[in-house]
Amino acid sequence: MKLLTHNLLSSHVRGVGPRGFPLRLQATEVRINPVEFNPDFVARMIPKVEWAALLEAADTVPKGPIEGYEHDEKFLRQMHHVLLEVDVLEGTLQCPESGRLFPISRGIPNMLLSDEETET
Amino acid sequence: MSDVQEATNQLLDVNLDENWRSIQVTGSDPRSESEHLQVTVGATVPTGFEQTAADEVREKLGSSCKISKDRGKIYFDISVESLAQVHCLRSVDNLFVVVKQFKDYQFKETKEEVLKDFEELAGKLPWSDPLKVWKINTSFKKKKTKRKKMNQSSGKEKIDNGQGDKTDEKDDKKGFTNNTLDSHILDYYENPAIREEISTLVGDDLASCKDEKDESSKEETHPEVLKFRVTCNRAGEKHCFSSNEAARDFGGAVQDHFKWKADMTNFDVEVLLNIHDNEIVVGIALTEESLHRRNITHFGPTTLRSTLAYGMLRLCAPQPTDIIVDPMCGTGAIPIEGATEWSNCYHIAGDNNPLAVNRAANNISSLLTKSQIKEGKVSWGLPIDAVQWDICNLPLRTGSVDIIVTDMPFGKRMGSKKRNWNLYPACLQEMSRVCRPGTGRAALLTQDKKCFTKALSGMGHVWRKNKIRKELLGDAKNEDG
Repeated sequence: MKLLTHNLLSSHVRGVGPRGFPLRLQATEVRINPVEFNPDFVARMIPKVEWAALLEAADTVPKGPIEGYEHDEKFLRQMHHVLLEVDVLEGTLQCPESGRLFPISRGIPNMLLSDEETET
Repeated sequence: MSDVQEATNQLLDVNLDENWRSIQVTGSDPRSESEHLQVTVGATVPTGFEQTAADEVREKLGSSCKISKDRGKIYFDISVESLAQVHCLRSVDNLFVVVKQFKDYQFKETKEEVLKDFEELAGKLPWSDPLKVWKINTSFKKKKTKRKKMNQSSGKEKIDNGQGDKTDEKDDKKGFTNNTLDSHILDYYENPAIREEISTLVGDDLASCKDEKDESSKEETHPEVLKFRVTCNRAGEKHCFSSNEAARDFGGAVQDHFKWKADMTNFDVEVLLNIHDNEIVVGIALTEESLHRRNITHFGPTTLRSTLAYGMLRLCAPQPTDIIVDPMCGTGAIPIEGATEWSNCYHIAGDNNPLAVNRAANNISSLLTKSQIKEGKVSWGLPIDAVQWDICNLPLRTGSVDIIVTDMPFGKRMGSKKRNWNLYPACLQEMSRVCRPGTGRAALLTQDKKCFTKALSGMGHVWRKNKIRKELLGDAKNEDG
């Protein structure tokens, strides 16, 4: 699971709503996958990213996009690495509101809820 | 019929014969002739996606297309040098070079006369240029036959190719050797420049009993005895003959003319006789098996054709950094096609079935391996991820997704009609929630038209139907809203 995906995932436990974001990430196994650097892609993606969630998930992230980031290659490369190259293979995602844990195994997060959890 | 279809139908007054005549007037120097040869290529595409395919041809080859009345076929002119690029097209299933087209063929009254005409036709057609193209095309593949035999592994799952096939009479006895569908063939169709691990059916027997020296010296002498077959597709109500009969008699005449050997399964040349009402196109196949399985090495019970996946994605006009999600991805055909072709977008493949997600992840890994071969050095990852989730309860932030493209459960091969009744409204609800308001868009493929229409009508305030394309892909409907 890439961190860009984590940035989009939100807990859908009943009643939790928008408070289900962001999921707390605990990674036990991580792999770095080189991905071709596309500065344009990263630059345009930055405004779409929920920065607070990213900060929580990765500790090497600057506090926020710096001014003129579109042309700052060092910054863009750093963000590229964090968003696309870090791959969580094993770990858990936790709903911040309900505490429910979702496992990540072989790089795939399992977000399925049980039948009771999805009942109204 | 949509506007697009109407407009393209008006382009059908094409006289390919004119193009043909001008080619035959060119100079007689054999080498320069084959280098600057202009030919008409025909391509089969998923029905309903003729325009998307034409767009891709214009974008990648610079040629404009004519769309045939015979659904699912487009025609365009290229110079032979572009042949390699033609094979890289992602919206086409099969390619052939046109030998001759008859816009308005006059069939005689009785079957005997019609068949006799076909026999006589064989000897009168302008075969030589198309055969040159066929030869050049084959030479792409011959250079890569080194490891052909080792790539034929056993134990591959059988392919269910029932989706999207035409319902008209089709005489197709292709020996569909499904067990060679490993990534090596698929590589070829993505990039003919790859020399190494290709396996091919063309001329396998022939190539194996000659060594490469023989092949080059034989070019000057009379061509080796080729094996061929004729495939006839016939559609129309007023024909007094069957496609079998046409194939048989036309084939017999072709055999007499060229002294080739007829072989239904191990052929070098596949001659196509496509008859659609009064339009007849004679062609020579350039692909011996469909391009459409190209990205999927691990099949599941309901894998979507890559060409269809490409067409659906293209319909949504992905913009750079769009987040593109397939919430019922199955084996991941759509996100994988997306990540390969639109690598400046981010793709997420999701499914509730752990088997499906695993298959999708495996297919993604296979893709990474292919990239590794291509580049030769670093294996680049792709902007694609897989998640296990429930479509009716998507664990995605509201309004975070730009494009949803998916193949909805048909209720025949997967799921059931009854389940669809409950599933569809819930799906649409969730999909609309996660889609970005204003610019979010979806392309959904479904067979269960009734259920889908009902579910959609309940959401009129949410989805704006920009284009409803009721395309018949076999029995499937496609909506773009």
